[in-house]
Amino acid sequence: EVDVLVQRVVKDISNAFKRNPNIDEIGVIPCPEARYNRSPIVLVENKLGVESWCIKFLLPYVHNKLLLYRQRKHWLDREALVDITSTLLLLNPDFTTAWNVRKELLQCGALVPEKDLYLGKLALTKFPKSPETWIHRRWVLQQVLQRFSAAACRSQQQHGEMESSELQRSPMLSDQLTRTLHEEMKVCCDAACRYPSNYNAWSHRIWVLQHMARGNIKFFHDELSSMRVWVSMHVSDHSGFHYRQFLLKELMTELSQAPTSSYASQNRPSTAPSSSPPHPSHTEANGELTGAEASGDEERQLNSATVLQLFHQELELCSDLIQSFPGHETLWSHRRHVFYLWHLW
Amino acid sequence: MKLYSLCVIYKGATKANLLKAAYDLSSFSFFQRSSVQEFMTFTSALIVERSTQGSRASVKEQEYLCHVYVRNDNLSAVVIADTEYPQRVCFSLLEKVLEEFSRQVDSINWPSGNPESINYKALDIHLAKYQNPREADAMTKVQAELDETKIILHNTMESLLDRGEKLDDLVAKSEHLGNQSKAFYKTARKQN
Amino acid sequence: MLDKHADYIAAYGSKNDDYEYTLSEYLRMSGIYWGLTVMDLMGQLPRMNQQEIIDFITACQHECGGISASIGHDPHLLYTLSAIQILCLYDSTDAIDVDKVVEYIKGLQQEDGSFAGDKWGEIDTRFSFCAAAALALLGRMDAINVDKAVEFVLSCMNFDGGFGCRPGSESHAGQIYCCTGFLSLTGQLHQVNADLLGWWLCERQLLSGGLNGRPEKLPDVCYSWWVLASLKIIGKIHWIDKAKLRTFILACQDEETGGFADRPGDMVDPFHTLFGVAGLSLLGDKQIKPVNPVLCMPEDIMQRLNLKPELLNFFLPMLTLVLLHHRNLEIIFSHA
Ligand SMILES: CC(C)=CCC/C(C)=C/CC/C(C)=C/CC/C(C)=C/COP(=O)(O)OP(=O)(O)O
Repeated sequence: EVDVLVQRVVKDISNAFKRNPNIDEIGVIPCPEARYNRSPIVLVENKLGVESWCIKFLLPYVHNKLLLYRQRKHWLDREALVDITSTLLLLNPDFTTAWNVRKELLQCGALVPEKDLYLGKLALTKFPKSPETWIHRRWVLQQVLQRFSAAACRSQQQHGEMESSELQRSPMLSDQLTRTLHEEMKVCCDAACRYPSNYNAWSHRIWVLQHMARGNIKFFHDELSSMRVWVSMHVSDHSGFHYRQFLLKELMTELSQAPTSSYASQNRPSTAPSSSPPHPSHTEANGELTGAEASGDEERQLNSATVLQLFHQELELCSDLIQSFPGHETLWSHRRHVFYLWHLW
Repeated sequence: MKLYSLCVIYKGATKANLLKAAYDLSSFSFFQRSSVQEFMTFTSALIVERSTQGSRASVKEQEYLCHVYVRNDNLSAVVIADTEYPQRVCFSLLEKVLEEFSRQVDSINWPSGNPESINYKALDIHLAKYQNPREADAMTKVQAELDETKIILHNTMESLLDRGEKLDDLVAKSEHLGNQSKAFYKTARKQN
Repeated sequence: MLDKHADYIAAYGSKNDDYEYTLSEYLRMSGIYWGLTVMDLMGQLPRMNQQEIIDFITACQHECGGISASIGHDPHLLYTLSAIQILCLYDSTDAIDVDKVVEYIKGLQQEDGSFAGDKWGEIDTRFSFCAAAALALLGRMDAINVDKAVEFVLSCMNFDGGFGCRPGSESHAGQIYCCTGFLSLTGQLHQVNADLLGWWLCERQLLSGGLNGRPEKLPDVCYSWWVLASLKIIGKIHWIDKAKLRTFILACQDEETGGFADRPGDMVDPFHTLFGVAGLSLLGDKQIKPVNPVLCMPEDIMQRLNLKPELLNFFLPMLTLVLLHHRNLEIIFSHA
């Protein structure tokens, strides 16, 4: 009897996703008792809610189903597995094994990466710290990157002698990659707003930059400026300021290494990562930027000036915030770090 | 840095009377917003009830700070903010709102008015504008006007209550809180 | 109060049909480790069902050698370490295939020296600690490339002296515990900047006496372990106000039900109960057995295993320098 009820709820959930592909938040509706003749699954304004009374039936059911499958005591077809794991993970996103089952589904082509990135994003609306959700996300992103580079290789073979640098500019690939990159920033930002100093969200953001935007000075600049407003409204968020320190350090390193005009790249229209994923080498990254052949010295001076300007702006921001919002350890710690970076430079 | 609610309340002889309220609950989970709103109103009224005439106080509750100003004429206002939001700006906001409110709404209506009957429209605008404290009114001016030593600080809601009185009981007894909100209170508290 | 805490832990495992228990099954092996360790620290280990637990662990070892959180879950380094810790408490490592575990751990080391948590490849300094701790407990540290492993952990050191989960990540008290613990197990503590790190760690103490894990976060009893153990490891535990911390930890107990919560008034759980009690032990509470700051296990177990993870000695900064040049003197100081 409970089984029938629960099976219906699992179906209701997957139907809700079919009915509305724009669901952007999940939540629990505090409700100690069942209301007669009504599904505990509620869909309003793109928000999917589960009435709390049914969770104590729903969770053990999907939990046991998956574990029986994992122990090969009970067979589930792919569709059922997708439904069971997504319900389970929306209720208990740190259930590592359920994510692993989905990794296997993804590997055998029964799931597409976009679907899992979406599921993770929804789980994070209710559990913004969930370490296993972030971990799974990084794994999926790595698959996406691998697919991109495989696709890049294929197109290289087709076009025979095409330069590797040209291929990075293949508009379709870089567009997709850019979209993925921006979507990740959005997911991180939402999670950071939902839980202060959200370690997992911010270290994920750093990972994404390290793996998907290496050497992309324009993107780092954009991040730095778009984060300005955010940190000014979250003056005790140590992670947010640490992220700025990370950006500054990367920019500082890139700009002082770059033998050729990377700064000029800021004027290029595309925000695509400037080299092919997943692990571009720096020479590659710069290879494509060798457009204008300004003299090395001039470049270095220009880059120096840019770094200096970054430090000045950062300290100005910091002083300004310290004056407006006295008594924040985070702001002073940031100040110390900026001076340290300057000193290092 | 966030302001969640701003209420104007009349402190009556036995009970606090809510006159007008504005909320910004966009940062809460969608399905919790209505309960959170009820709780913010409940808490604001409770704080006014337990504060003395002509006093300013800040009460810490979990990760929130409730700032209250009860004027000598018993007209009061409460703003609920996160702990990051500057206290000083909150009191400047309260002062300003009450001044404006008392100019626009006749004091005859204070003891018996309610949010529907009271015609005072600016609360939502103030709440929105003050979300960014640096864009709101000159903070420096406030600094000069406000003597911070006069603000009482309570580290918990409990310290406002009488001996033997429990917040849980007050919540359970309240007629302003719906069943869903009471259920929400039970799960929200103590779980981490 | 200790009896109440023991009752709380003893009862926790028996209500295994409720839904909260299902929710935490994905970390069951660690949960058991927390419960057993705190029982042992309070001298009440015999109250737990030894045989049942050992059989459970045997059943959780997989073909690949790795151990999972529970039956039917996938193996992971986190639970492999917890299982080994439990088996050490019971002096029963023969309940699992040790060679296979060692192979499993070895197989998770990456070219750059880092460790993946499982076959899916997530990298984190937590896993470096798990690998080193598990191998140290099994006496098989030689199975991995220790130099490379050290190199990776050191690459996660930040300018504030702390450590994060990966190179470039923010310092976090939990990660610092893992990294200083790792460096202790590999005999590389001289590589930390103890003054700088000690300063960062002691700044975690708040007005309430409690410790947080990063600047401007709320205090939490578990950080009395992560921070305090790290301070102990680097020889700076005297840099915080012990009496105030003790007061905070005690305020987190639930007088009625037993157990500790993250903060006063919150719900208790076995995780915070272990770290509350272990914290009190580090603060010198005589009713509790001495705890080892690196492995978070009773010192008497360490003695039985003949394990002496390195600790920096606060009154011997000069001699630490000497140690750098004469590694073989280490043996003398580990007795100090
Ligand atoms: C043998 C023992 C005791 C442990 C095993 C070794 C491990 C796994 C230690 C874990 C240490 C730990 C707590 C690491 C920190 C993980 C982390 C980055 C948490 C993110 O924390 P926040 O999101 O800041 O959460 P809080 O705000 O709740 O602190």
